[in-house]
Amino acid sequence: MLFTGIPLEFFLVTSTLMFFIGIYGFITRENIITILMSIELILNSVNINFLAFNRYLYPGQLEGHFFSLFVIAVAAAEAAVAIAIIINIYRRFKSIEVDNVDEMKN
Amino acid sequence: MEFNIYDFTSFTKWIDESLNAAMSPFWVMITEMAIIGVAILAFYALVGLFLVYAERKVCAFMQNRVGPNRVGPFGIFQTIADLLKLLMKELVYIKNADKLLFNIAPFIVITASFLAIAAIPFARGLHAIDFNIGIFYVVAVSSLGVIGILLAGWSSNSKYSLIGAMRSGAQIVSYELSVGLSLITMVVLAGSMQLSTIVEAQANGWFIFTGHVPAVIAFVIFLIASTAETNRGPFDLAEAESELTAGFHTEYSGIRFAFFFLAEYMNMFIVASIAATVFWGGWMPFHVPGWEGFNTVMDYIPPFIWYIGKTAVIIFILMLFKWTFPRLRIDQLLTLEWKYLLPINLFNVVLMAFIVLMGWHW
Amino acid sequence: MEAILGNQVMFILFSAMIVMFSILTVTSRRILRAATFLLFVLLSTAGLYFMLNYQFLAAVQITLYAGGIVVLIIFSILLTSHIDHKFDRVPAQKLIMGVIAAGSGIALSLTTLLTYNFVPANQEPISVDMNTIGKSLLNYGDHGFVLPFEVISVLLLAAIVAAVVIAKRKKI
Repeated sequence: MLFTGIPLEFFLVTSTLMFFIGIYGFITRENIITILMSIELILNSVNINFLAFNRYLYPGQLEGHFFSLFVIAVAAAEAAVAIAIIINIYRRFKSIEVDNVDEMKN
Repeated sequence: MEFNIYDFTSFTKWIDESLNAAMSPFWVMITEMAIIGVAILAFYALVGLFLVYAERKVCAFMQNRVGPNRVGPFGIFQTIADLLKLLMKELVYIKNADKLLFNIAPFIVITASFLAIAAIPFARGLHAIDFNIGIFYVVAVSSLGVIGILLAGWSSNSKYSLIGAMRSGAQIVSYELSVGLSLITMVVLAGSMQLSTIVEAQANGWFIFTGHVPAVIAFVIFLIASTAETNRGPFDLAEAESELTAGFHTEYSGIRFAFFFLAEYMNMFIVASIAATVFWGGWMPFHVPGWEGFNTVMDYIPPFIWYIGKTAVIIFILMLFKWTFPRLRIDQLLTLEWKYLLPINLFNVVLMAFIVLMGWHW
Repeated sequence: MEAILGNQVMFILFSAMIVMFSILTVTSRRILRAATFLLFVLLSTAGLYFMLNYQFLAAVQITLYAGGIVVLIIFSILLTSHIDHKFDRVPAQKLIMGVIAAGSGIALSLTTLLTYNFVPANQEPISVDMNTIGKSLLNYGDHGFVLPFEVISVLLLAAIVAAVVIAKRKKI
C-alpha cells in the first residue's frame, strides 16, 4: 500500500492549509479570474479530505470517492460558466477587476 | 537468468531479484526508478532522432527529391549534426518576455509526452507501469501538453506566438474529444482500460478485424483527430509558416526550440503506438483463428518487432498525410470536428455498444 | 520499514509542493504565473490521489482540472489580460484581514482536527477498478449513485447551454 506509514492527520493538515490559503486568496484578490483560481483551491482541498476519509475510515465503501468525482464535475461546469461570464464582462467593461464592475446597466 | 526475446517478464524479474539481494527495498525502488528513467530517456532520444530523419526522407520521397544524403551513409547522421548545431546556438532572451514561464513552457510540453510513454506496452513484460486505467492515463497526461503551448505563446510577448498558441489551444481542446471518444469505442469492445488486457484480448484477431464497422470508423477518426492533436499537417495551422512564421515557438532558439521539435515527434510516436496497441494489437502477432501453421510462423517474429513495425506503418501514414493534403483554415478545422467527427463518433459508440451487447464481436 | 520511508518522502514532497504552490498561486502578481502555479498544485493533488490508490480519480483530476479547467483559465487570461500587466500590491488593510481570517481558520481547524482521535478502520479495502466504479455509478440499490449521476448529467447540459448563451455575441 502506498499510504502505509502516513497517518490520516497528515492529509488533513495539507488540505486544511490549502483550504485557508484559498480563503486568503478569495479575500485579497481583485481580479475575477484569480478569485476563480482561489475557489478551485478550496474545492480541491475538500476533495483531498473526502478521499482521505474514505480510504482511512471506510475503506470498504466508495462514497467519498464518488462525492469527489461529483465535486470535480460541478467544478468543471462552474468554471465553464464562470469563464463565459468573465469574457462577457470583459466585453462590456474592458476590465475584469471586481471593483470596476459596479454598474447594473450601462 | 534466461533472456527470452519473446517474453521479458523473466528478465525484469531477474533484475528485480538481483537488486533485492544486493540492497534494501527503499534503494531498490530508487534504483529501479533510475533504470526505467534512463531507459525511457535513451529510447526517447533515439526515437526522436530517427523520426526527424524519417520525416525528412519521407518528405523528400513525396516531393521527388533525395533528402539528406551527405552526413553518413544515406544521411542517417544528419539529425545528429542538426542536434549539435542546435546545442551550440545561442539562447535568445526576449525583452519584456515573462522569463520564468518562457523557460518552463518547453519542459511542460516534453514532460507530458514523457509521462505518456511510461504506460505504453512495448512487448510482453516490457511495460514500465500497467495501470488499470491505462488508456485513460495516457489521454489524461497527453492533454497537459497544450498548457505548455499556451504558456509559450503568451510568454514570448509576440503576436505570432500568441495567435499560434490560441489556434493551437482551440484545436487541441476540440480534437481531444474525438480522440477520447474513439478510444472509448474500443474500450467498450475490449471491456477494459488496462493496456495489457487490451493487448491480450487481441490474441485471436486484432480489434480492427473483430470489431466490424465501428472499429474501422473509430480507427479512421482516431487517425484524423490524433493528427490534429499533435499539431501536424494538414492541421498544422498553429505553426503555419506562411502566415505565422513558426507559431507558438517563433521566439524560441537553440535547445529550447529543439525541445518543442522533439516533443512534436514524440507525440506523433505516442499516438501511433496507441493506435497500434488499441486497433492493431500492439505487440501481439498477426493471428488468424484456425490457421495453426500460419499462427506458429507468426509467433516466431519477436513481439517487439511487431510493435515497432505497426507503429512505423502508422507513423508513415501520418507523414503521408502531412505531405499530401493542403492546410485547413481554422473555421474549416473546427467545423470538421464539431459538425462531422463528434456526431459520427457519438453514434459510433452507441453502435459499438449495441454490437457488444448482441455478442456479435469475435 | 524502508518502504514506509519511501511513502513518507513522496507524501512530504507532494504536500510541500501543494502548500508552496498554493501560496504562490494566491500571492503572485502576474496572472499567468498564478495559473501555472495552480496547475502545479492540481498535479501534486493528483499525486496524492495516486498515493491513496484512487487511480481513476487521479486521472480524472489530471484530465478535468489540469487539462480542462486550467486550459480554460489560461485561455480566458490570454483573451483578457496583457503581458505587461502586474497586479497592484494588496492594500495593507485587506492583507491583514486576509491573514487574520486564514490564520484563525487554520488555527481553529487544526486544533479541532488534531485533538480528535480518528480510528482507522480495519475493513478489507475494496479494489477501485473500472468495473466497480461503473457498476456503482449506474446502480440504484444500496451504495448506488444513479441519481446523482443523472443530476450531474442535467447540470452539465445546463452549463453547456448557459455558457453558449452567455458568451454568444449579442446582435446589435
